[in-house]
Amino acid sequence: MSFVKIDKLVKRYGSLSIFDGFDLAMENTDRLVLIGPSGCGKSTLLRCMMGLEDIAGGTIRLGDETYVEGAENGKMKLNRKVQKEVGMVFQHYTLFPHLSVLGNLCLAPVRSRGIGKAEAKDKAMDLLTRFGLADRAEFYPSQLSGGQKQRVAIARALMLDPKLMLFDEVTSALDPELVNEVENTMMALAEAGMPMMIVTHDMFFARNIATQVVFQERGKVIEAAPPEELFGNPREERTRNFLRNVLHIEG
Amino acid sequence: MNYDFDWFYVKKGLPKLLEGLMVTLELTLWANAIGLVLGFLVALGMLTRIRLITWPLTAYIEFFRCTPALIQLVWFFFCVPILFNVWWSAEFMGILALGLNLAAFNAEAYRASIQSIPTAQTDACTALGLNVVQRIIFVILPQALLLSLPVLITNGIGIFQQSALVALISVQDLMYEGRYLATQTFRPIETLTTVALLYFAVSFPVSQMVTFVERRTSRLLQN
Repeated sequence: MSFVKIDKLVKRYGSLSIFDGFDLAMENTDRLVLIGPSGCGKSTLLRCMMGLEDIAGGTIRLGDETYVEGAENGKMKLNRKVQKEVGMVFQHYTLFPHLSVLGNLCLAPVRSRGIGKAEAKDKAMDLLTRFGLADRAEFYPSQLSGGQKQRVAIARALMLDPKLMLFDEVTSALDPELVNEVENTMMALAEAGMPMMIVTHDMFFARNIATQVVFQERGKVIEAAPPEELFGNPREERTRNFLRNVLHIEG
Repeated sequence: MNYDFDWFYVKKGLPKLLEGLMVTLELTLWANAIGLVLGFLVALGMLTRIRLITWPLTAYIEFFRCTPALIQLVWFFFCVPILFNVWWSAEFMGILALGLNLAAFNAEAYRASIQSIPTAQTDACTALGLNVVQRIIFVILPQALLLSLPVLITNGIGIFQQSALVALISVQDLMYEGRYLATQTFRPIETLTTVALLYFAVSFPVSQMVTFVERRTSRLLQN
């Protein structure tokens, strides 16, 4: 039984259909990278997995529990206990601007998981030290660079010991010279064995970090394969066209 | 212009003017207490989107925003006693009218700030497993309050100035004492200028503070 299983997912925005019976599976040793043209539903898929989107049909399972069960007319069922085992980092940081770095890390553990303040703080400092951000603990988000903000956002998600991490274009809003520090942090996390689903436009990073790359178009999986295969020898014509476009390869 | 300035009577009357200023400040503080608390509750009521709650609140807000503060004050002073058979002091009526007026404006400031917090913040809360109540208390409201602070202070100091209207219902505030002194001494220029300067002396530092607070909050909340 796979670690994550998305089954017959149906997602619509009004009359616009994003997914109409979408399936995807992933193992807990996987780092799944989703690629595809803009508007093909990559980010929407992550948002569905986080329980941020109301889905009209299908199910999403994590471990041995189905935690999202779609239904028409906003009657979707969401198991919050399992939802809490999923962590997510967004494109635009979404740190809490009124709290310090430490405050950002400790808010959810203290307020929603009932962890003691001192314990949370210790854990936060450990994480920040690991990320080379210990000297920024008392800073406010507005005093940080984009790369630092994004690493704080990753640390904030890790505070809750997620079993699965979702990364939604986390380097897209960054200045080019700041992309590396965030990608390195994610690589370190990957080496530590964290299962991840990643949406990115950075094909080189995708190739480096992925165990499995999924090429998606118009709400359908066109091709899924290990990175060497998908980038080196794509089977589908549409995958080849897409890669040619984004990698600017002639012919 | 051929006018000999004579500040003798102003100097002599200054303690009385300062007494009036104290009354004005007292009115301002009470009106602000009502305005900050009631305005907040009204804003929360508006955000419930329950029509039974929002319709009367909308009527209240729009009524107080779309009529002159002067008529509100005079109406409270003359009509409330007749309609409800209550006989409260002019000062209390003044506080009530000014407070309700300020609450209407503050409610809009609170509501606008709460609604301007990006939905991405809500998504981040959900992703961190915070529930609705935790989200509102620990994430949305602190940011909204910081964001509304400059407007709340501006409204508050506006009420300080508007409070001069209570002189018309014979509350012995700064304006009342100033006019009294001016007519008693036949020295309107010296007296009324002094009164204006006293209002200015209180308002100006506060309005400068608004600029400072605004800069600080916008820098903090930029993302």
